[in-house]
Amino acid sequence: MGADPNSRFVEIYETVYEPILGYVLRRCPHPEDAADVVAETFTIAWRRIEEVPAGDEARLWLYGVARRVLANHRRGERRHEQRTAALRERLAASPALARPPEDEISQMGRVFRDLPDDDRELLSLVAWEKLDHGQISRMLGISRNAVRIRLYRARRRFARSLAKAGIDHPRAVALEGSSL
Amino acid sequence: MNLADVARVHDKDLAGEVAAPEAQGLMHAIMSEEREQLTVARPRRKVRRGLVLGLAATATAVAIAVGAGLPGGPATSYANAAVSIEKTDEYFSVNITDPTADRRRFEEAFRAVGLNVTVKVVPVAPSEVGKLIGPIVPDGFTWHGSIGTQSIEPCSSAFCAKVWMPADFPGRVVFGVGRPAKPGEPYADEAAVDPAGEEALSGYVSRGKTVADVRAELRRRGLKTGYRLVWQYPDGGFFDEAVPANRVKDHWTVASTRPHSSDTVDLYVTPGKDAGPAPSPHPQPEWYDMPD
Repeated sequence: MGADPNSRFVEIYETVYEPILGYVLRRCPHPEDAADVVAETFTIAWRRIEEVPAGDEARLWLYGVARRVLANHRRGERRHEQRTAALRERLAASPALARPPEDEISQMGRVFRDLPDDDRELLSLVAWEKLDHGQISRMLGISRNAVRIRLYRARRRFARSLAKAGIDHPRAVALEGSSL
Repeated sequence: MNLADVARVHDKDLAGEVAAPEAQGLMHAIMSEEREQLTVARPRRKVRRGLVLGLAATATAVAIAVGAGLPGGPATSYANAAVSIEKTDEYFSVNITDPTADRRRFEEAFRAVGLNVTVKVVPVAPSEVGKLIGPIVPDGFTWHGSIGTQSIEPCSSAFCAKVWMPADFPGRVVFGVGRPAKPGEPYADEAAVDPAGEEALSGYVSRGKTVADVRAELRRRGLKTGYRLVWQYPDGGFFDEAVPANRVKDHWTVASTRPHSSDTVDLYVTPGKDAGPAPSPHPQPEWYDMPD
């Protein structure tokens, strides 16, 4: 890689900490829990520093790791560690994160929350992480064609659920500049 | 309404968070840990990217190289009957004119601009014919810069893409070009199966059904069944092991299905509790592992 593991890890951490924190916060019901997921994600990157790809690919790689760590977290694997205590406190006290997630207060948010996990994740990667098909395919390790097909189906199911929930014009819901 | 508004927080709201003492403290805490070797190897197929090719086109069989730099060094652009490649500051612009051309024409063009890659012509499903598969780095990509492709549309050739790859990458890099598979000939996989559900049968969801149910559906459609056990490892990796039918119980659950050949569909099966311990990953050689 050229750089030693320490300086490489620092560079990766400094570059992608914020997008990874954002990715996790947007998917964790409680902001403070994000601290443990972020810590675990970067610990895996530290242990496998030789495997972390260079450039922006590192962000995609870490999204993939965070996704798996989050899945374990949802399955009940909760580890509050001493090393994350300070960050937990910071996130719990953050005014930016104080309001309840939109998926609890808006009708569209509730419909979105109730989508199948895979649909919600794909749509989120487009709308929240702003990833294109190629980036999603690299992150999930599936073909671009598979991404295209699954996104198409996810959009369709979302539109159908919105219609069912009484949102009459699901096409008014925008996803990255285009309607559903 | 915009779906982006449903997000609790946007990345821009987090600007500067990495400089917070709590975030820096966490970084140092992580780095104080030993970087122990993981016991489970990463499953095969680490880096794969697939791209779509259009229909074949033809071109005159003339190779044109535009040189720059030292005599004998790589050209900045190269074109032959199959492909033209142009080096820019950041990436290589690749236009394929004839995806049915001999693989050596592609290799010759990549080498002319300084990229040492292998191109293989591989059997694929009818819908995949003409696709460019890769770049695949069988030993993993751990180098500076990045490796990957992005297709460009609209494209006046059969296929247009940007290719990123450091010219000094010493490892083996393989691209595949899809050709029609013969009846019963196994397809070359483009990417690892998604253990979270990939479906091979139109109008039928196999995920979550029992092996017996999905096999019955395949039989109804006149298709044969292949089996792969999907072993999950604590590090998040997985390994799919090709097994004979007698290793699979009827009541186990299907996670994914994928076409294996023109007459066979592979069931990716979650091993039941009675399956015994997960084996160490022992991947079979893939098409890109074969000698050039």
